[in-house]
Amino acid sequence: MTEALLQILLNGAASGGVYALVALGYTLIFSVLGVINFAQGALFSLGGYLTFLLMGGRIGVNGALPGWHLPLALPFWLALLLAAAGAGLAALLVERVAFAPLRRRGAEPLLSLITSLGAGVVLVNLLQILMGAEGYAFPAGATALAGLPEALLLGGARIRTVQLLLLLISALAVAALTLWLERSRTGQAMRAVAEDPTAARLVGINSAAMVRLAFLISGMLAGLGGGLIGMSVSLAGPYFGISYGLKGLAVLVLGGLGSVPGAIAGGLLMGLAEALIPSEASGWRDALAFAVLFAVLVLRPSGLLGRRQLEKV
Amino acid sequence: MLRRGGLNAGASDLLAARRRGSRRLALAVAAGISILAMLGRNSDPAAKPLPSTVTVGAAIALTGNANLYGQDQRMGLSLARDWFTTTPHARPVQLQLEDGASDEPSAIAAFNLLIRRGVIGLIGPTLSQQAFAADPIAQRQGVPVVAPSNTAKGIPQIGSFISRVSAQSSVIAPLSLDEALQRNPKINRVAVFFAQDDAYSTAETAIFQRALAERGLTPVSLQRTQLADNDFQNPITAALQQQPDLVVISAQAVDGGNLIRQLGELGYRGQIVVGNGLNTPNIYPICQRWCDGVLIAQAYSPDLNTPINQTFRRLFQNANGNRTPGQITAQAWSAYQVLFEALQRLQQRGGLEGVSLGEARRLLMQEVLTGHYDTPLGPIHFKPDGEVVQGRFYVAEVTMQANGRDGRFRLVRSIDVNTGAGSQQP
Repeated sequence: MTEALLQILLNGAASGGVYALVALGYTLIFSVLGVINFAQGALFSLGGYLTFLLMGGRIGVNGALPGWHLPLALPFWLALLLAAAGAGLAALLVERVAFAPLRRRGAEPLLSLITSLGAGVVLVNLLQILMGAEGYAFPAGATALAGLPEALLLGGARIRTVQLLLLLISALAVAALTLWLERSRTGQAMRAVAEDPTAARLVGINSAAMVRLAFLISGMLAGLGGGLIGMSVSLAGPYFGISYGLKGLAVLVLGGLGSVPGAIAGGLLMGLAEALIPSEASGWRDALAFAVLFAVLVLRPSGLLGRRQLEKV
Repeated sequence: MLRRGGLNAGASDLLAARRRGSRRLALAVAAGISILAMLGRNSDPAAKPLPSTVTVGAAIALTGNANLYGQDQRMGLSLARDWFTTTPHARPVQLQLEDGASDEPSAIAAFNLLIRRGVIGLIGPTLSQQAFAADPIAQRQGVPVVAPSNTAKGIPQIGSFISRVSAQSSVIAPLSLDEALQRNPKINRVAVFFAQDDAYSTAETAIFQRALAERGLTPVSLQRTQLADNDFQNPITAALQQQPDLVVISAQAVDGGNLIRQLGELGYRGQIVVGNGLNTPNIYPICQRWCDGVLIAQAYSPDLNTPINQTFRRLFQNANGNRTPGQITAQAWSAYQVLFEALQRLQQRGGLEGVSLGEARRLLMQEVLTGHYDTPLGPIHFKPDGEVVQGRFYVAEVTMQANGRDGRFRLVRSIDVNTGAGSQQP
């Protein structure tokens, strides 16, 4: 009984950690701009592919340049960090292309849903043209975890080592981001912009720079998630990030729009809700997860830890 | 007495004017509809004479989740087109590829587009689920369809213009179970996984489960997954608690490949039998060394020693750096070959002279169903309802290379379904 409960908790935490990481990317942009970046899932895919290429992976036969590879083969951890930076830069490009022009023209913020969705679709299709549709395994996947067993038995519950690492790294990334937002001057400036952009501008904070920084960090989080998931389950085609993007979006709403602790709590709750489904009803997993979302929103429309929006008149 | 033009008189004039206006509007609408109908009839390619070069259309999944199969199919179709145009033929044929993506609306759109462009026959779509939606479009318009990879029950029965070169999974799937049971007769605890949101996988798992029941085996765990799933920690740990000694998977390449890998990583060491969705070399980089030993029943073996298969294998290896072709690619080649050879036979008999495209399509379908074809799959022909008749099937075992990144389907048994005789391979 205890073993089964522990297994459920571990399964839930392993999935929930990744959901939280994806949701955090959405949260940052939503808190600063009040919009959702639908290209987040595509940036997730990009992070996975960049990690693969930086580790010396070769493009497959269906790609644009079959057999091509970068003239380097970095260790997984270094490749992961560089890929996260690359995904961050791509997020900056998405901001420049899909968000900034609308903002300059004072367009309805909802329109950016469509432009960011378009940017995401373009990005995924570019990945497919370049890399082809086939799945990829990381070239040094096994050696990166050399010396560690493939699965660990914790109190009778079984978890893949790579998933445990994924959970730990997600937790570290979330903790670092929270600390940075709370303690650093730039983090506080970003929170000020999220709180009240006009007041922030009046006290000399460069709002435009904060917006770009939010995109850079959210892109890096997506890239980090993509690289980690790629290590855990291979790169299953350019579309693999989209499903994580959708789940992250649900977690964003569940935790409370724009709330960093909410994204973490929402991610873990969503993961746990999925893990709680008994095997006979596994077909209802997504339905139950979204039923939890529905129930929370009925009871607390602002999400688990979101703040109630006050109408200023 | 008020003069005409007063308030009442004005109202009646207005009424009359409205009636006149309504009549004019009705006439204009009727005229518009007639013109559109005439234009539509004139632009209907089926009514036009058959062009000197006929076009075969292929709607396959070049994007979306099923694009792994689509890429294999594109390779098979391109190789077949290039091979059959190396020598002059009675009627030139060109191939037009269209992305049917991985969902039903895209397959319907691709079929509609190709039919409007005047193709004489269609190959596709990639998934059975798409075929149930798109094939009725071709059936209504009388366009022959040869499905290269739709193995779900009921595909040829959609209509008289629908056929397939891909044998029904109910014929093939149980063969791999027999091989597993022959290797280990003590198997009695079976865990079954299937992608519940995929029509093909749900149909195939029913076949597997029926075959298991016929062999006296009841699944101890039945896990439903989804095509978009990447992480199978939950269903795998639930299944492994039942300590199965055989795992049977009906899924597609990406999710199924990941499932196999995670089964291995979570400690499962028993036999794995997979369905047709994993019948592609594209699973190797996903499940890596964990693919090793997986059993799969196939409608194609690269080891088949016939001239046409040797040609196909050589052309494939020239284009792909010595990789071995898979079933999906061989079936795509065969679908093109069927349409191509049927067209040439018709042409040689003079059956295509002076006929409209619509009539040519009807004649082509008749010819497809009556012909015999020596394809890389082996000799095939069709039943009157469009179901393929194929004499020999195979059971293969995935054998991975030492680096765990590439492998091949090693033939372990070939079975003649007419006689039931099987021959064990070394």
